[in-house]
Amino acid sequence: MSARDLPPVPAARRPLAVLAGLDRRLIFLVIGVGVALPLLFPLNLPVGVSREATAYYEAIEALAPGDVVILAVDYEPDTMAEMDPMTVATLARLFEKDVRVIALADYAGGTGIAARILRETARERGKAYGTDYIFLGYNPDYSATMLRMGESIRATFPTDHYGTPTAQLPLLANVDDYSRVKLIVSISSSAMAEYWILFAHGKFGEKIIAGNTAIQAVLIYPYFQTGQLAGFLGGLKGAAEYEQLTGRRGSGMRGMDAQSVAHALIVAFIVLGNIGFFVERSRRRDAARRTHVG
Amino acid sequence: MWADLGMWVAAILTLAIFSLLYRDNPFYRAAEHLLVGVSAGYYVVNYFYASVLRKFVVPVFRQGDLWLLPGGILGLLVLLRLSRRVEWLSRYAIAFYVAAWSGYLIPAIVKERILVQIEGTLPPAPWTVAPGALIGALVLLVGVLSILVYFYFSAPHTGVLGRVSQVGITFLMIGFGASFGYTVMGRVSLLIGRFQFLFQDVPAAVLGR
Repeated sequence: MSARDLPPVPAARRPLAVLAGLDRRLIFLVIGVGVALPLLFPLNLPVGVSREATAYYEAIEALAPGDVVILAVDYEPDTMAEMDPMTVATLARLFEKDVRVIALADYAGGTGIAARILRETARERGKAYGTDYIFLGYNPDYSATMLRMGESIRATFPTDHYGTPTAQLPLLANVDDYSRVKLIVSISSSAMAEYWILFAHGKFGEKIIAGNTAIQAVLIYPYFQTGQLAGFLGGLKGAAEYEQLTGRRGSGMRGMDAQSVAHALIVAFIVLGNIGFFVERSRRRDAARRTHVG
Repeated sequence: MWADLGMWVAAILTLAIFSLLYRDNPFYRAAEHLLVGVSAGYYVVNYFYASVLRKFVVPVFRQGDLWLLPGGILGLLVLLRLSRRVEWLSRYAIAFYVAAWSGYLIPAIVKERILVQIEGTLPPAPWTVAPGALIGALVLLVGVLSILVYFYFSAPHTGVLGRVSQVGITFLMIGFGASFGYTVMGRVSLLIGRFQFLFQDVPAAVLGR
């Protein structure tokens, strides 16, 4: 008879083993409370700044007033929670430095997000549409868009997001390709930052920095290590790091207390679940041995 | 007023989606169906405007840019897949698209994702880097080589090959662990985003701040 064939022992007689089979709704509830409380009562836990976030910060700090930057809002509503803090903090800093911004969205679902953040941040910083920033909107086929923008931005986007001919936009009067663009910032929830590296950096030598979802960050590290990417932010933690570097407390830093508590709880659940698993396995093996000897 | 209404609708729909955590229910299903329907409508309109109107109808029929006409015709051929009798015509459009995509993607991928990455596996002049960075570079080199050995299937993984592939598995597991950690962080961030909306944005709007 194997340990698996033994009848289960009532849960009341094996409290540690119960941990291995906790009702998942209880776990949801504990995580929910663990996330909600720090948002209502901030703990102000410290946020360490990584090398890649520092490099992202330095790439923007190196810009001079009047420089032109492409800001690609490459995400859709499903990842707004992670990406919006990066976009807001980056755009606010670019406007503070009087850098001119050409914004676009490589996903159709990102146009509304980009338009809202541009409008609100420009209003806060007193920036004018057409001269300080423009929004080109969405163009089908991101790879062809990235390649063609290297030849002519006005030909790639005959009109901006609002239907105004790009030939009439003062910001584009002397800027029509990557040669006058100092930096490309891709705030991306997918592999879009990689495509900017492939086409804008690989073919035209453009300097690229990226903000990525936490899931995507693992895939982005190799490009930072080789220097193809000048810096990047990974997930909400990356947004919080950049907010810390710029001295601007936004939703990234506000969310990090909750993030830390949730991680501590998840680690605790993993440890408890494993203790329960090993205790149960050991008990079953002992029982099987006793049955075999008997 | 419309912004406030939108906020209330978003809050109610958020709670309806969260209700699935307890069990499946009609509120969750209604919110889910609404999301699918609204998303489909939004994307159809957006793609039609951005592709068909902005990139084809306006330039060809209003500005007389006839060079775009062959591309438009190829695009229309894709729609012929809906008819069994003439669906073979759609293959020409797909063949063109695949060929064009391969033409500009393959060289870029070979250069940026393979050659530059291989080059970056070791510093060009290892004796010039700091000892800490050198150790990191060596760990990276051992990781890359042992993982490559693990994925070499033309010889049995026994003896030296087996031991090296075990090292490769260890590196892979560390990579998967880092990936899992980042995934947890990403998912928790989404929850934080919704809670910030429910506990901070909605009350702020209600209280008029």
